[in-house]
Amino acid sequence: MPQIFGPAANSVARVVLLSILITPFLAIALGYALMRSQYVTGASITRDQPVPFSHEHHVTGLGLDCRYCHSSVERSAVAGVPPTETCMTCHSQLYTQAEMLEPVRTSLAENRPIHWQRVNVLPNYVYFDHSIHIAKGVGCTTCHGPVGSMPLMRQAQSLTMGWCLNCHRDPVPYLRERSAVFDPEWKPPAQQEEDGKKRLIAYLIDNKHLTDCSTCHR
Amino acid sequence: MTAAELDRSDALRWTLPSGRSYEAVNRLVSAPLIERAAWSWRAWWIAFAVSLTFTVIFLIAVAWLFVSGIGIWGVDSTIVWGYAIANYVWWIGIGNAGTLISAMLLLMRQHWRASINRFAEAMTIFAASIAGLFPIMHLGRPLYFYWLTPYPNTMTAWPQWRSALIWDFWAILSYLLFSIIFWYVGLIPDLATLRDRARSRGGQRFYGALALGWRGSARDWHVYHVYQLTMASLAVPLVVSLHSVVGLDFAASLMPGWQETIFPPYFVVGAMYSGFALVVVLAALVRGGFGLQALITPAHFDVMAKILLAASIIMGLSYATEWFSAWYGGGRVDRDLVAYLFTGAYAPLYYAQLFCNVVLPQTFWFPIVRRSIPAVFLIAIAINIGMWLERILIIWMTLSHGFLPSMWRLFQSTIWDWLTMFGSLGLFATMYLIFVRLVPAVSMHEVKKDVIDQEVSA
Amino acid sequence: MTENLARPAGLAATHAGLDRRAALKLFAGGAALALASCSRPPEEIVPYVEIPEGLTPGIPLKFATALPLAGYARGVLVKSVEGRPTKIEGNPRHPASLGSTDVFAEASVLSLYDPDRSQAVRNRAQPVAWETFAGVLRTQMEQESARHGSGLRLLTGRITSPTLRRQLDDLLRAFPEARWHRYEPVNDDAAFGGALQAFGRPVVVLPRLSDTKVMLALDADPLGPGPQQIRMGRDFVGARRAQASPQDFLRFYVAEPAWTLTGANADQRLALPPQLIRNLALAVAKELGANVEAGNLPAEAQRFAELAVGDLKSRPGRAAVMAGRAQPAEVHALCHWINAQLKAPVDLIDPVDVAEPGHADSLRTLNEDVVAKRVQTLIILDANPVYDAPGDLDVRGALRSVPFSVHFGHYNNETAAMCAWHLPLAHPLESWSDLRSLDGTASIVQPLIRPLYDTRTLHQLLAYMGGAASASSYDLVRETWKARVPGGDFETWWRGVLTDGVIPNTAQQPAQVPAPKLPTLAPAQPPTGFTLTLAPDASMFDGTFSNNAWLQECPRPVTRQVWGNAAHLSANDARRLGLVDGDVVRLGRGDVQIDAPVMIRPGQADGIIRTTLGYGRWQTGAIGNQVGFDAHRLQSIGSPWVLEGVSMAATGRREEILTTQHQYQLEGEAHELFPILSIAKLESEVPRRHESVGGPATLYPAYPYNTYAWSMVIDTGACIGCNACVVACQAENNVPVVGPQEIGMGRDMHWLRIDTYFTSESSPPGFQPVPCMHCEQAPCEPVCPVMASIHDAEGLNLQVYNRCVGTRFCESNCPYKVRRFNFFGYASGQEFANLGADVVKLQFNPDVTVRARGVMEKCTYCVQRISGARRTAERENRKIHNGEVTTACQDACPTRAISFGDRNDPASGVNTLRQERRHYELLGELGTRPRTTYLARLRNLNPALTEEKA
Repeated sequence: MPQIFGPAANSVARVVLLSILITPFLAIALGYALMRSQYVTGASITRDQPVPFSHEHHVTGLGLDCRYCHSSVERSAVAGVPPTETCMTCHSQLYTQAEMLEPVRTSLAENRPIHWQRVNVLPNYVYFDHSIHIAKGVGCTTCHGPVGSMPLMRQAQSLTMGWCLNCHRDPVPYLRERSAVFDPEWKPPAQQEEDGKKRLIAYLIDNKHLTDCSTCHR
Repeated sequence: MTAAELDRSDALRWTLPSGRSYEAVNRLVSAPLIERAAWSWRAWWIAFAVSLTFTVIFLIAVAWLFVSGIGIWGVDSTIVWGYAIANYVWWIGIGNAGTLISAMLLLMRQHWRASINRFAEAMTIFAASIAGLFPIMHLGRPLYFYWLTPYPNTMTAWPQWRSALIWDFWAILSYLLFSIIFWYVGLIPDLATLRDRARSRGGQRFYGALALGWRGSARDWHVYHVYQLTMASLAVPLVVSLHSVVGLDFAASLMPGWQETIFPPYFVVGAMYSGFALVVVLAALVRGGFGLQALITPAHFDVMAKILLAASIIMGLSYATEWFSAWYGGGRVDRDLVAYLFTGAYAPLYYAQLFCNVVLPQTFWFPIVRRSIPAVFLIAIAINIGMWLERILIIWMTLSHGFLPSMWRLFQSTIWDWLTMFGSLGLFATMYLIFVRLVPAVSMHEVKKDVIDQEVSA
Repeated sequence: MTENLARPAGLAATHAGLDRRAALKLFAGGAALALASCSRPPEEIVPYVEIPEGLTPGIPLKFATALPLAGYARGVLVKSVEGRPTKIEGNPRHPASLGSTDVFAEASVLSLYDPDRSQAVRNRAQPVAWETFAGVLRTQMEQESARHGSGLRLLTGRITSPTLRRQLDDLLRAFPEARWHRYEPVNDDAAFGGALQAFGRPVVVLPRLSDTKVMLALDADPLGPGPQQIRMGRDFVGARRAQASPQDFLRFYVAEPAWTLTGANADQRLALPPQLIRNLALAVAKELGANVEAGNLPAEAQRFAELAVGDLKSRPGRAAVMAGRAQPAEVHALCHWINAQLKAPVDLIDPVDVAEPGHADSLRTLNEDVVAKRVQTLIILDANPVYDAPGDLDVRGALRSVPFSVHFGHYNNETAAMCAWHLPLAHPLESWSDLRSLDGTASIVQPLIRPLYDTRTLHQLLAYMGGAASASSYDLVRETWKARVPGGDFETWWRGVLTDGVIPNTAQQPAQVPAPKLPTLAPAQPPTGFTLTLAPDASMFDGTFSNNAWLQECPRPVTRQVWGNAAHLSANDARRLGLVDGDVVRLGRGDVQIDAPVMIRPGQADGIIRTTLGYGRWQTGAIGNQVGFDAHRLQSIGSPWVLEGVSMAATGRREEILTTQHQYQLEGEAHELFPILSIAKLESEVPRRHESVGGPATLYPAYPYNTYAWSMVIDTGACIGCNACVVACQAENNVPVVGPQEIGMGRDMHWLRIDTYFTSESSPPGFQPVPCMHCEQAPCEPVCPVMASIHDAEGLNLQVYNRCVGTRFCESNCPYKVRRFNFFGYASGQEFANLGADVVKLQFNPDVTVRARGVMEKCTYCVQRISGARRTAERENRKIHNGEVTTACQDACPTRAISFGDRNDPASGVNTLRQERRHYELLGELGTRPRTTYLARLRNLNPALTEEKA
């Protein structure tokens, strides 16, 4: 009776058996990598805006304080994207004819709001509050990245829950003195570890509650 | 075969003369798979058509479930669990039996297992896989079922290890993998036989590939037996743990009628009970369907009936224990619940359950009943119905009649509850028919081994 | 959450509008709160062009205004988020609110966003422009002025608005022969009639419950639905404080034909047909020396009367009787006389509502005029006579014959269908106006949002009728008050009253009345056959709220029925007629026949059929149409509340009665679930509980709660079962409505339910509000495989919606069954009826996730409020103050039965309450260590009677 299989059959069989074992683990590894990729998190993605607003120019160039435009950041959950009138306080004088500012002028003229593209998107079931982070010495750039050097705004961090928890579990490395919260160039000093620990107490940060689900999900 | 024939001296042996040789066994079992021409598959096709219809119904029911939500079932604010969980427990119970039978009987050197362990194990795999579907279908958001697994995720969130459902998840998974391996390896020698007997090239390649190069050499057999014994001794504790964990789904709560230490053992027995009952049913069908009267004899039914009888007595004992502990424990709610079992809205179902699971099987005390295949067949079906009732009532009774009277409700079944349930039966039948069509329903090599042993002992 | 009460009032209308537009955009832009999967659609940010003054994005504002119920004002504070009113709360400064709300106030915010609200002017159902109507109206009014308005008739409900009264007076001056008719379905004609008989002038009776020690209510329902419910409830409970000695503890006697909230809260309750209640009144008067013939009473009633009189006599100056609207004028008069004898603590004030003639007569005369073709122009202002007029008045037919008929209302309803013209009316939350409460206190009604549709206010229409080309309600209201403000700077005064929500010194002064005359009143014979007694519904009232889904699904007090009404029968009658719950009977009176499902009510008087008004609407909207049966049709203009000789016949049909509770009776040991203590024995027999809470020992380590430990104590002795908390919770927490079909399947979504238990056949039921217990050893937590049900550092038992996969193990293991599951997307794509419309979503509270299909939810102790308070506190580097966090149910509760606070704060009230003798844990023996605990209900039985029982 003739052979049913060629000599390769054994090796094939072995490979198949082996891959049955390995495939699941490969799949997990792939998913792991994918979920952290910029493709999924949207980190460092720049979105097209109706007006190519440059934080680099306004913050580093002109030295505007964050709060000049994001006026409610210290009081409210939302930092507040400035109303058109805020833009026009300067731009009624400067670059009054600039092509790129046309949408702003029409907005004011026709009383139609400007539609910006949201850059830092959190899921709707996440209740993030700017004011409390500011109050507890977490600086803008900690989450928004080096805004002062961004010609166009981009999402600086992955914004995954793991990333949030990273700080909520141990805020010490990120706590600044209150005066430095809005400092776009802030870098953690050498003695950040000690300073942070001190501030943890000074700012009455209840880091036991920080990791409660109710802190962000309601 | 009549009772008269049974009384013949060799009646109680596990094979009839007609099947008492290697060649006979091979021929009897492999004929349907190899000698296509000589064999008529009409009955099979009819059965397949029917079961396929039910499978389609099942798929439609599940699709509609995913489209519109759990609300299509009868579950409500108080009785948040319903058919899905009952079906799950019932199927997993059945899933228990195959491996248990095959492994435990192997360890106990019960030769007669040879004729039934193959399709019993197959039953295990299909039942367990179907059982595995129900907990997922039952989820409010099935697409997130994988959150029950501890995989590295960007939320850095992990499962709740204290939850019986997590234990359950692992129990089912490991049991399913185990059963598949156990069953498949047991199949290898027969696949080799089929490879060698196959007429067509295709058949040879198909079975050849599956046989993984089995040669039947002394070494092959040695490895095989060591392996089989090891697996069998692993199987028994695994099976016991599996359904104990299922029992813990209820016992690890504080609801009256659930929070009982007796649940794990009582669930294991219940599982074996319903599983064995279904084995009997399948045995009768395979025997008739493939003309294996020579290999599956009334003796098999006789001995399986005895096991069912024993199980039914244990079940009765467990029920009685529940009533006693409720009375003895003396908690208001527990007592109310037992009263509710017998007098509440579901009482008729409860009596039906007691009749099917405890009263009816007592007829097995009489040999005449045990050896009448139709009788055993029908009683086995009754037992399976009774066991399903037990599962659904465990859920309905406790949830309908909890701690606060203000939230007492009655369950209202919907058409989708029923379609999903019968659909799952269809799915099982379909898978089973495909199985018997492709691989030998009875383990040839083990029956052959059995034959020699009998020759020797005779 | 800042509370910004003051704001530049003048801007209100305009900037509310801007807010709203932004809000809509924000919403469309994806500020929708539904749980989304991780995939992110591109989102837009739409900032303001000019930021409205006083508004900070993300910080809600609160404004004071007033809402009408049967024409009377209840002051409220409205929370507004980016210009969307989202939540109504009580105004502590307002006498009819006292900081609390009722179901109607809470639910009115949903009515604002009701998609079925009328949105356009219609001429014979065809939409037309306002201008078109204005033109037609002008010519019509010119004709009328030619004949001095002899053909002009106005029909309104009860009018308390000073501005409206001013405008009406002007109009009637301009059209001297025109007539103004008023018909409020739930009116006080009998009470006014009684006052006329007793004093020769109409007065309103305001009992001072807080000063009362013994009260006898004759078929009166002060604690029931109505403009006074909140105040009465507060005073009632204030007079029944457990700390008080038994003598100072109000004892409440109630004689009534069928269960009302007042009867349910009574100490001594007697079920008696209304006719015999008259005899009871006579018996009492006789005992007090009146020369009247007391009719015959059943022995039980006799005994009741003796006990009551004994008690009343024994507390001169502290005892009072009151009669209900269903009793005839004579009985009211008799009560005035009795109260005079008792020197009863009741205030008599001049009515705010013009009293003469009564509403019924007013409607009758109008009908006669119409039938006699004396009416050419009929303007119906926010009234719906076609639906709610008594059935023996053929308003429908009459309306058809009016040449020029106009209906001005919120809905294109039954009356609108019969009128030539229908005009859409602006919602009170959209309009400027003013209102007065029953005691006369006036408030300014200010808009929270620019009108959603092209609607007008009553003021504007009256101005048009007066010939004005255009009118602004804002100016009209200010005119009224400019004239009344005694000098000073009007703007400051105006700003002040807007901020406070009440106008100072506007309450009526006590009326100077002569000694009441003893009316001539013959005793009634025991009725033969069935007597139908009607009452306004606890959720629909008179039908005004029929299209409000929250109210439709709000379980009615005592019966827990939803989505419909029923004909209530006593157990005896039902047995006699072989009827069971759900059997449909045909009620007949004259030629009116109505089919109604039967509901058996133990403790109802025999021979009584009881049902409530406000159902069987046939043209209001997707929610309210064809729900229940219309009892108005059985009413008679002569006697709207009590109808004798009503026939009842079984039809053989059955109809499912939808309730959220199926078992009311507590049997055997189950009584432990709802302890009822006697105030007399409280000190002597009930041991003081020291924190004995905690149940059996546990192997689990106790959680350390070193920051806050939130805890709630519910006083079942104070709960009158009014449901305000239930609806408040729904509004605050975006709790969806499931609809009748789902209720029929045994599903509901309320986070807070009011369990109602009868401990014996006859004695009044008790109410046990059951929110989540927030157990310290929560059974739901260890069973959740994904940790969606989880404990937090402050002892809250959290439900993380976005983590929930829906195994429902938590609910099946919850002994209190307080968790609710989204079997369908009740709030996310599978809404009931029209509740999925975008405009409805404007009501959502942005601080609370809208739950998706397939997730479990439950009471959170209003965690969003706790979190808000925490963030405010932490921004200011301090701890949360005692009382800084209040839950929605707590705020709503008229009787302050719900207390909430931090157990780690010694000053917090919950700690003192947990030390009370009445304190108990529900199912504490399970060792769940609930954070929500209870105070036992108290009864103040007449000692004589208790001895008899013993």
